[in-house]
Amino acid sequence: MDLSTLDDASLIRLIAHQRSEALGVLYDRYGRLVYSVALNVIGNAETTEEIVQDVFTRVWEKASTYDADQAKLSTWLISITRNRAIDELRRNRVRPEQFNVAWEEAIEIKDPRDPGPEAATETLFKQKSVREAIAALPADPRQALALAYFKGLSQSEIAEVLGEPLGTVKTRIRLAMQKLRQVLSTQMIDQS
Amino acid sequence: MIAQEHVLDQLPAYALGSLDEAETRQVVQHLDSCPICRAELLTYQMVTDQLGFGAPQIEPPPSLKQKVMQIAGPARVAVQPEIRKPGLVEVFRSLLTPWRLAGAVLVIALIASNLILWQQVQGLRTVSNPTAFQSVALAGTSADPQAHGVMIISSSGQYGTLVVENLSPLDTNHQYQLWLMQDGKRTNGGVFSVSDDGYTSMLVYSPKALNSYSGFGITIEPFGGSSQPTGEKVLGGQ
Repeated sequence: MDLSTLDDASLIRLIAHQRSEALGVLYDRYGRLVYSVALNVIGNAETTEEIVQDVFTRVWEKASTYDADQAKLSTWLISITRNRAIDELRRNRVRPEQFNVAWEEAIEIKDPRDPGPEAATETLFKQKSVREAIAALPADPRQALALAYFKGLSQSEIAEVLGEPLGTVKTRIRLAMQKLRQVLSTQMIDQS
Repeated sequence: MIAQEHVLDQLPAYALGSLDEAETRQVVQHLDSCPICRAELLTYQMVTDQLGFGAPQIEPPPSLKQKVMQIAGPARVAVQPEIRKPGLVEVFRSLLTPWRLAGAVLVIALIASNLILWQQVQGLRTVSNPTAFQSVALAGTSADPQAHGVMIISSSGQYGTLVVENLSPLDTNHQYQLWLMQDGKRTNGGVFSVSDDGYTSMLVYSPKALNSYSGFGITIEPFGGSSQPTGEKVLGGQ
């Protein structure tokens, strides 16, 4: 059976049954996404590889606890990757001035690997939607949001890194999140 | 609760995890007693959950997949385990939109008409085509009398599908194992688990034609299966 045609929920069930080939298909489907999120947090390829292995180890060991009603698999993977990577960043006490953050500038998705039934629709749709929504934000809120999301900085730390008043940073982050909520909610309603 | 006490302005940063410790404590304390702010927070958490899709995409090194696959080691089982049957709630949920509902009605109508046609054709086929699918009914033993199942075997005998219902779900240390029986010998047909309602279906492969075996049995074995039956038999058929 060609497992690459299975949806995410079926793959996770196979992984819960310790089917290693299902883990391989999941990696083909989401490995680049996980690697990209981790690398944008950590900024170091070697540590990023360790984090990716940790994330897929967790999937392998905890697949039976995954609840599709709570979160899509892609967002679950992103969430545990980001949390794990930020923990590592804080443990290593990387100096904020070394931070180099950016959002994806390309809106269109090129050369998707192993599209699979969900990646071909939902994941690609989300990537395009989020990129469009972020690209529509002014540059300053986009930068503040990137420091909060990728580096796990508090608003006070962001104000310090950017040399901006704390109130300004708070306003930028609040307005950015409100705008993203408005745009992404509308897109999800349109999609459904 | 008066409006000034709400923490609505702080929720976007809270969802991102970018509040200071004192602010975080204040928000957590308020959320504990305010359903309005909890509902608002969910909408911002939805945004945060999706931000990773905006990360610049970088191709991982090819060697990384091999390292990830070392987590799993070799495959534990050689057969196709369960693909869970969707529950009724999930099915109805998927049919909730009007277009899907209309589509479902159309599909049901087509299935019904095809069934009638199939039944009409079937009478002819039993005469003109002797090589049809075979099925072997499996009955529950005294260990699990409510359980039942069927093994459907392709006309060539090369492929089979096992379907079981009402088998008791097992703990995480055990799985069911199918045995292909012939001349007193038991050959492993695969291991499987069942859903909470006791259902599973599984493709069965065998080195020999499945219709050459004299019977099939299912026992409870340690997770991953055994080389020979060691546990209680719960289903069987010939």
